[in-house]
Amino acid sequence: MSALSSLSAAVERTVHTHAARMATAVIALVIAFLWIPIAVLVFMSFAAGGVLSFPPEQLTLEWYRVFLTNDAAIDAIVTTITISVPATIITVTLSTMIAYAIDRYVFPGRDWLQMLATLPIIVPLVVTGVAMVLFFNGTLGLPEYVSVVVAHVIRTIPFATLVILPTFLTFDRRLEEASKDLGADELRTFWQVTLPNIFPGIVAGGLLAFTLSFNEFVYTYFVKGSGDPTLPVYIWNQIRYNVTPEVNVISVVFLVVAVTMVLVAVSLTRVDLLTRQ
Amino acid sequence: MAGRSDAGSAIGDRIDAITAYFRSRPRLRTLVVAGPPYAVLVLFFAIPLLVMLVVSFQTSEIGGPWTLSNYTNFLTSETYLTVVWQTLVISLQVTAIIAVVGYALAYSIVRFSRRTTLLLLLVILPFWTSYIIRMYAWINILQSDGVLDSTLNLFGLPAVGLLYSQPAVLIGFTYVWLPLAILPFYASLTNLDPDLIEASKDLGAGPIRTFTSVTLPMTKNGVITGLILTFIPTFGSFITPRLLGGTNNIMIGMVIENQFKSAFNWPFGAAIGMVISVVVVALLILATRFGGGLFGQRSQGGAEA
Repeated sequence: MSALSSLSAAVERTVHTHAARMATAVIALVIAFLWIPIAVLVFMSFAAGGVLSFPPEQLTLEWYRVFLTNDAAIDAIVTTITISVPATIITVTLSTMIAYAIDRYVFPGRDWLQMLATLPIIVPLVVTGVAMVLFFNGTLGLPEYVSVVVAHVIRTIPFATLVILPTFLTFDRRLEEASKDLGADELRTFWQVTLPNIFPGIVAGGLLAFTLSFNEFVYTYFVKGSGDPTLPVYIWNQIRYNVTPEVNVISVVFLVVAVTMVLVAVSLTRVDLLTRQ
Repeated sequence: MAGRSDAGSAIGDRIDAITAYFRSRPRLRTLVVAGPPYAVLVLFFAIPLLVMLVVSFQTSEIGGPWTLSNYTNFLTSETYLTVVWQTLVISLQVTAIIAVVGYALAYSIVRFSRRTTLLLLLVILPFWTSYIIRMYAWINILQSDGVLDSTLNLFGLPAVGLLYSQPAVLIGFTYVWLPLAILPFYASLTNLDPDLIEASKDLGAGPIRTFTSVTLPMTKNGVITGLILTFIPTFGSFITPRLLGGTNNIMIGMVIENQFKSAFNWPFGAAIGMVISVVVVALLILATRFGGGLFGQRSQGGAEA
């Protein structure tokens, strides 16, 4: 018994002395785990031998040329953007309304609204994807383009709301009081006082919504018929049926889009807003 | 000029009249703001799920006769039950890995690092790139003679060729969910009052004791949220097992994908979707019991009374 407790004391002491070093090691290892695959993709996009060789013998820009002259890939990017841009605009509008309603009004069903705006993150994508294909394509017979845009809106609302809501919560309400004291009504106060103040949050929410929509695969894969593939669907077909070195270049495209959007979004808000529960 | 300004003031009057109208009707005002997003979420998210429930009880198409056969076929098939079991096992393994690695990382960042924002950004950024691309990166790394094997060779170690194995699936899932799961861990750890830890140490507890009796219990809600955010999407996933798992690691999501993409048996696919939903709902109820706050703004929302 005393041997056990002295052992545990020894362990406690060791942990105490080396805690900082262990923490640094954990951080370094996890960051490496997260970034090495991305580095591999970028590196492979310049590899002369293509996908299957590592390390590559020669570096080249050949695959970038192939990518830029491949109409199918460029079309896929255009298709994605014609879906993501309207989806993002709709999402940002709806998410701002949700955030405003939840923050300002007390009404029956307020908790339900908040839950509905969160649930799409929690329900497995495959389940919602199936439900959407049954309802959009089966029951409603929506045109393919409309189905996909609506699916993207549902996919992005929770994230946009998650970013926009905290900017409402941290916004200094006294500015609005002042505006109203000076005679402005609620609508005018919103346009001239509230909106300019929360605008960075809304833009950040929009950028993240766009990124998510640009990457969206599962809903699109289910809801979409035989029409032009979006970039993620295109790359899925490539990976499953015929991998070409060009896939590495498309990976870099995804990476550049994501990093740019997120960095701008973060500079507009604060990272820790993303972690608010 | 005069005409235009008249028109302008007429419009101004109109707007004044409209806002006055809404101001005197707060219920209508709420309806105008909350109504549209509510309608979109109900019509395009909630109703589809209900339709799925209905279709799961039908034979071939909507409006056809009612049946339980989709469920009985699924629940009496040993193949499918094995798939469910395998899915459950993989999901639990992933959740356990995420709990340990994610918590260790969040704890290290909160307690021992000064560059919190930068580190958090480095952790979150990969989440925002394409899911498929991230899986593709791991195909490159894990396939035989891929990056991992080549690196091992360089050190004179034998190749492992991990692709199309269960470890490959676990690595893939850990990779995609870690950035997301870490956020609630991190949030609950930052909200933890450091004085409590100091107090525990002043009272003679070592770091491990302090961790198990103060830190961990105090951050329980964040942990549960993070684990839910890992388990549920893993349980429903088909991309990762399809790309990294090969034929020995079939998960339930792949069976659904198959019903919609090649077998074209929609009601059966809907029934499997319901089976997954039941597991998810059961888990959420369990999590709420133990205090994981998934719809958590309520405490913070602070709408004026």
